[in-house]
Amino acid sequence: MILLEERSNGKNPMLPYLGRLVKVKDLASDIKLFSVEMLDGGREAFKKYYPGQFVFLSAFGVGEAPFGIASIPQRGTSLDFAVNRLGSVTTELHQLGEGDLVGVRGPLGNWFPMDEFKGKNLVVLGGGIGGAPLRPVLHTVLDNREDYGHLTILWAARHPSLLVFTDEYDEWRSAPDTRLHLTVDQPDAEWDHNVGLITDLLEKVSPSPENAISITCGPPVMIYYVNQVLCKLGFKPEQDYVTLEARMHCGIGKCGRCNLGEKLVCVNGPVFSMAEVGEMAEGFL
Amino acid sequence: MSYTLEIQTKARELLTSKQVECVIGYEVGLRGRTRPAFVYDAQDVERLVWNQACTHNLTTYLNDKLNPQGPVKNKTKEHTPGRVAVVVKPCDSRAINVLLAENHFPRELLHVIGVVCDGILEKVGQSGNLRSVRQLPISDLSQVQSRCQRCEGHMPVTYDTLIGECPSHQELSLGKANQADLIHIQAMTPAERAEYWFSQFDRCIRCYACRQVCPMCNCPTCLYERDDSLWVGIRIGLNEKRTFHLGRAFHLAGRCIGCDECERVCPMNIPVSLLNRMLAKEVEALFGHRAGLAPIPPPFVTVLSGS
Amino acid sequence: MKLTTREGLASWLDSLAHEVNLIAPRDIEGVLLYRPVKSSMEIVLEFINPVLSVKEAFFPATERLLTIEKTGQQITLNETLPEGKQVVFGVRPCDARGLKVLDANFTNTEPFDPYYTQRRSNTTVVGLACHQMSPTCFCTSVGIAPNDPGDMDVMLYRVEDGYIVQTVTKKGQALLSALPLETKELSQNGSDLHNSYIYDQAERVPVPEMSTWLAHFRDIYWEQVAERCLSCRICAYVCPTCRCFSVRDEVLSSENGRNQYERIRCWDSCAGEAYRRIAGGHNPRPEKGQRLRNRFLCKFVYYPRQYALGYAACTGCGRCIDACPVNIDITEVMQHIEEVSQ
Repeated sequence: MILLEERSNGKNPMLPYLGRLVKVKDLASDIKLFSVEMLDGGREAFKKYYPGQFVFLSAFGVGEAPFGIASIPQRGTSLDFAVNRLGSVTTELHQLGEGDLVGVRGPLGNWFPMDEFKGKNLVVLGGGIGGAPLRPVLHTVLDNREDYGHLTILWAARHPSLLVFTDEYDEWRSAPDTRLHLTVDQPDAEWDHNVGLITDLLEKVSPSPENAISITCGPPVMIYYVNQVLCKLGFKPEQDYVTLEARMHCGIGKCGRCNLGEKLVCVNGPVFSMAEVGEMAEGFL
Repeated sequence: MSYTLEIQTKARELLTSKQVECVIGYEVGLRGRTRPAFVYDAQDVERLVWNQACTHNLTTYLNDKLNPQGPVKNKTKEHTPGRVAVVVKPCDSRAINVLLAENHFPRELLHVIGVVCDGILEKVGQSGNLRSVRQLPISDLSQVQSRCQRCEGHMPVTYDTLIGECPSHQELSLGKANQADLIHIQAMTPAERAEYWFSQFDRCIRCYACRQVCPMCNCPTCLYERDDSLWVGIRIGLNEKRTFHLGRAFHLAGRCIGCDECERVCPMNIPVSLLNRMLAKEVEALFGHRAGLAPIPPPFVTVLSGS
Repeated sequence: MKLTTREGLASWLDSLAHEVNLIAPRDIEGVLLYRPVKSSMEIVLEFINPVLSVKEAFFPATERLLTIEKTGQQITLNETLPEGKQVVFGVRPCDARGLKVLDANFTNTEPFDPYYTQRRSNTTVVGLACHQMSPTCFCTSVGIAPNDPGDMDVMLYRVEDGYIVQTVTKKGQALLSALPLETKELSQNGSDLHNSYIYDQAERVPVPEMSTWLAHFRDIYWEQVAERCLSCRICAYVCPTCRCFSVRDEVLSSENGRNQYERIRCWDSCAGEAYRRIAGGHNPRPEKGQRLRNRFLCKFVYYPRQYALGYAACTGCGRCIDACPVNIDITEVMQHIEEVSQ
């Protein structure tokens, strides 16, 4: 029997690192953007992480929940998370303010193969808070613009108040060879962009599948229907990447909860190509 | 005609004439164990049986079938409810009245096949005991369950089809008998009772089988399992288990019809139904109400609403 | 081969109970369970199998992972790893195989779970071969046997004059060195014993191939069987290999501005309706048939593939068959899947 100290560098994968909230910003209605600076051992653990990975954030006293990392290490040491107030953990997190400590376990999961995407045209589709795990993809592309082809961003929400990262749209639009398309289901008085579902917008924009990769994140229903439109437009499953969500309790492949058939979203995902998803007996919807 | 044949005949008639979409009854599985059966096709009615192992209270499936928009417990498919027939014993039939009183579904959607029941055998479909060290003496295997020994009248309180004949004399004298276990507990001091119950709950593993099998436990999300408010923690500990069992007993006061299925399904042999019976007695003493004899709401509804 | 008498065994168990946490089958008000014992008198030696499996001693129903202390903005975390040596006595081959199945996840796949691993490390497994298979046992169908010592540290076989003692692993050897069991040598050969240890063979159940299970993923069969399912958690909780758990923080105490919490994990089951429901309401398995199918496929396809098990995650103990209130029978399902694939 191998002794405990010899395994996992003696680190208990259920023991969180501590991080300090250095910034809390309102991102959208009921959605806050948390910026966390890691302390002590956590700094080393988060020196390197990749777009698509996630963490478990602890609201101590209530529990933990998984959140996609919405930042990249190349742009700074603090980690960004978009937190939608929906359940008990997120409600507790929303009570926290700058200076408060949170627990962070990670980085967990797999990541988008950004190197494989080099030289390709990217179509990035974000629905609601699904935009958060896509932000690191966008930042990586924008910071290494020549490495990638056309960048087409389709950004959607049910209502303008639910759009995320609105303060970055100008940065995105102004990048070379980059198009940003916005749409909402329900406009407000000031809205002067598209109105309608992201699938309608996608049909309208009709990006070419030639040398292209699509990356989609959003509610399961959205991912499902976006994928159907991508198929119609000629995208092959190998070209389509998604990041899937599932209820998780450990994030490290032990508790078994997040399985989609024989795959665990927390260790075999959350990033999957639609070719992989197609092979799964169990649907994510 | 045997009860089995009568039930099969009726089921065939109801399904062929499309009066119902489904007949919920009993069948015998490959190991010879009786279990719930859902028959949709007239050709399959021969699956249906009646025997002294028909212990399950099939009314627990009615909400799924007849009220799909309602409680999500045991939810199967989304569909607009068609009529359903269900085979019930006298105890089970009382559950129908409680469900009707609580407006879970309209009576017209249900065809009740009520059985005049002689009693269900002990230790059938039983969990824990099959693996325990205690082997029952043969004579016990022919004994009916204690709830059957308490049964008054053996007649379903509501039915559209009656299987069997109304007993010629009501065996009321048996009804109040066999409350020995209840009397034994009531003779204990409060401290002794607490010790007794805590030692019983200690074995509980919060499998929730008692709740899931009960027709009256049909909250969309059980209070004791709420993820958002967390009224009770997830720990499988004595405090939480005590809270669950005592709370559940109160939620069933005036509603529990005494089928004792909760106790039958418990893998740890916890005498769950004792609590329910105790509170049923209290409700009867205070309000003169006995659950399920008629489709009227329990006193907590009628008294508190001032009616 | 060594033989010990009944008295020899009893006296050994008594001294064991003084030295370590000895867990053995006990009759708790008519329910047979693996529980700590203080003397050999409390141990039941003639039985089929306790209601709950031995996994409780390694993966308890509730386990504290860490404590959390909050004072103002200050947070202190303390991991609470299990301590103390254990011996589990009277383990059947199906449960011992169950431990190997759990090992594949908790201790053999990174990142290793320190809680389970520590308990496994600190525990010696002393098995007791079965004399008979109950009608619901089917261990021989999944590659083990009632007298299989393979997953034990020490194995005992009851014979007329007492118990044959077989040391299986170094850990078993270490236990017997530290606490000797009084034995005398037998001339009987080890393999003779294994072959001569007779048990009633139960009928074999076919174990379909993984691809066969998957080929019937969309069959209406799952919905039909699940119609009577109550969505309780009995099958998962009695199972020696089910390992799903929830994690939550719970309040311990709160005084003078110091708030203490514990982060605990507890058993859970994929049969529950809310198991996969996310905040926001989406549930990929709202129907009972989907959940039932998940549980069976997990045993025979998902778990073995995810953790490179090499065999099915079901050990044929039959507890779920006995315990299910509505007679949902894993062997019936296995037979059906095999039949429809013909």
